[in-house]
Amino acid sequence: MLNIKNLHAKITDGREILKGINLDVKPGEVHAIMGPNGSGKSTLASVLAGRPGYEVTEGSVTFDGKDLLPLAADERAREGIFLAFQYPVEIPGVNNMYFLRAALNAVRRHRGQPDLDAGQFLKAVRAKLKELEINDDLLQRGVNVGFSGGEKKRNEIFQMAMLEPKLGLLDETDSGLDIDALRLVSNGINKLRSPSRAMVLITHYQRLLDYIEPDHIHVLSGGKIVMSGDKTLAAELEKRGYAMLDETAA
Amino acid sequence: MTAKPETAPYRAAFTAHPADALADQRKSAFARFETLGFPTRREEAWRFTNLRPLQQAYLPGTATASKPDIAAYAFDGESYRLVFVNGRFAPDLSHTGALPKGVRLDNTAKLLPGHQDLAQSLLDDTDTAGGQGFAALNAALFADGYVLVLEDGVTLDHPVEIVHWGDAPDQSFHLRNLIKLGTGSRATILETYIGEGRYWTNAVTLVDVAAAASLRHVKLQDEATTAIHFGQVRGTLDRAARYDGFVLTLGSELSRHDSFIRYAGENAECGLFGAYLLRGAQEATNMTVVDHATPHCTTHEVFKGVVDERAHGVFLGKITVREDAQKTNANQLNKNLLLSARATVDTKPELEIFADDVKCSHGATVGDLDEDAMFYLEARGISPDEARRMLIEAFAADAIDRLEGEPALRAHLAAHVQRWLNVARVPS
Ligand SMILES: Nc1ncnc2c1ncn2[C@@H]1O[C@H](COP(=O)(O)OP(=O)(O)OP(=O)(O)O)[C@@H](O)[C@H]1O
Ligand SMILES: [Mg+2]
Repeated sequence: MLNIKNLHAKITDGREILKGINLDVKPGEVHAIMGPNGSGKSTLASVLAGRPGYEVTEGSVTFDGKDLLPLAADERAREGIFLAFQYPVEIPGVNNMYFLRAALNAVRRHRGQPDLDAGQFLKAVRAKLKELEINDDLLQRGVNVGFSGGEKKRNEIFQMAMLEPKLGLLDETDSGLDIDALRLVSNGINKLRSPSRAMVLITHYQRLLDYIEPDHIHVLSGGKIVMSGDKTLAAELEKRGYAMLDETAA
Repeated sequence: MTAKPETAPYRAAFTAHPADALADQRKSAFARFETLGFPTRREEAWRFTNLRPLQQAYLPGTATASKPDIAAYAFDGESYRLVFVNGRFAPDLSHTGALPKGVRLDNTAKLLPGHQDLAQSLLDDTDTAGGQGFAALNAALFADGYVLVLEDGVTLDHPVEIVHWGDAPDQSFHLRNLIKLGTGSRATILETYIGEGRYWTNAVTLVDVAAAASLRHVKLQDEATTAIHFGQVRGTLDRAARYDGFVLTLGSELSRHDSFIRYAGENAECGLFGAYLLRGAQEATNMTVVDHATPHCTTHEVFKGVVDERAHGVFLGKITVREDAQKTNANQLNKNLLLSARATVDTKPELEIFADDVKCSHGATVGDLDEDAMFYLEARGISPDEARRMLIEAFAADAIDRLEGEPALRAHLAAHVQRWLNVARVPS
């Protein structure tokens, strides 16, 4: 589904952050990406989602066999890529419900589905809100405005549940969640797992992977994937820290 | 005193103006206009204003045949509506229905003969001895306008809707309005200025809000983009009075809205809000001058500007807190979004404080659309065009939403912001 080959990318100041990423994600799979702070995990997610400010200098990315790189961010989203932000943005004055309905209808139109009317939309919203235990009144505010850290993360997963993407890129969705919220969000993500949908989870913690069992774990360091393994890799990293990368390399 | 040359074309118009109850004051006012002439950029209040469009003379004329097209602007709710066409009251387009007891709503021209007292309050010293030439010209030449007088304790149940349509080529319309609210009374006014072609609207509105009375004064200025629009409001607020002014500026090639508010009693409150959305070569100025002469009064100002293409937005805010005006609470905020590299904004929020126990703040920003917000919206599948619109709408709504207790009016204004956004932009 997602095929990344020798991806190099730099930021506008010219510094190269991604230095040859290779990753193959198949439908139905869950991949976890771990790695030290500043290693390039969010940059990879940003480049995949089409965030401005990054330049791909080498390599290729295909999504469902299509070249992803020429597409603008909104086109990628409509094609089925969803980025759950490490730091969701607050947008005062843009009502959550209004925003979500605009997003959902944009995605639906692209899929050849009719717009949802207000009633249908509300019904879909209600059901998902309940699953993620999100308070109704949050939706009446501006996008993410006045949300707590945990509420913002839950809102990201709520949006993913509404938009039903093919590929979810979840950047530290577990950070800042309390124990109950982590379980809630993990359940939400697990519910979205399906044979046709893939997920890439960026995380620092094994705990998330106890709830959401990944098929593969990769370690990103210095802009490259330096180690890959199955779900047992997380436990090993937890025990030994990223120092084990040097030991293994040595 | 010699007359300034730019005033010469207006002398014939003044001479031809029929004498009325105010003939003496009008004469003084015209003399004042001749002395002052047009303001120049050496005056602080006019430093950023380009008066080039006024190089041609716009003379008041007799009404010409006109096809007012006001349907798209009609307030979608009950109202007492007065329509003016090319500066003159148009009774056949107006409907005031049955006004509640204690309310007088009329056009100025109708009141001029036979109502000495009211006629006298249409002018004051500012017109005959003040420092603003266009106001003096208005005093000398005005032919019509509206007068709203509420007796003590009267609450007007629906908004008064004033629609002004202009399309007489190269003419000027000098409108003189008077709003007088008796003690404890309440009213809401929506003024709409629209039209086609080249003309000059020059309106002066005198506002007198008595103790504990409350006025919401909303203006939608969407004149033709080849027109000139000057609006001046001079208001006095008595004890515990409240004035909420809102101006949505969408139209005109050159426009100004100048509000002068003076507190004449304690515990009064004033909100001055506005949004201006400009494109092409439009220039719009919002000026506020608030005089805190009495203690315990509160002023809130929020003006939001969206400036695209080669347009120019100006905010001039001045709040003076006099020595006796302790416990004044005043804040001023002007935020601008520049949508193109050639768009410009001048902003000058100013506080002049002579009292020591006051809470005052002011601020101004000029910036671009928030890139992070744009990306967040796009990352959910929303197109850049729509994302932009959503952010601009939200930006303007921040000012519109300050109009408390008027959901229908807020929706009306928001709809006109949307209409502005629906016009395709010229890529810069
Ligand atoms: N837009 C940007 N402008 C400047 N520097 C950037 C930008 N994006 C990323 N970087 C830099 O690139 C490097 C990688 O950052 P990135 O956010 O991808 O790391 P990360 O692996 O997600 O780290 P963390 O675990 O702390 O979230 C850092 O040094 C960061 O400062
Ligand atoms: Mg990161």
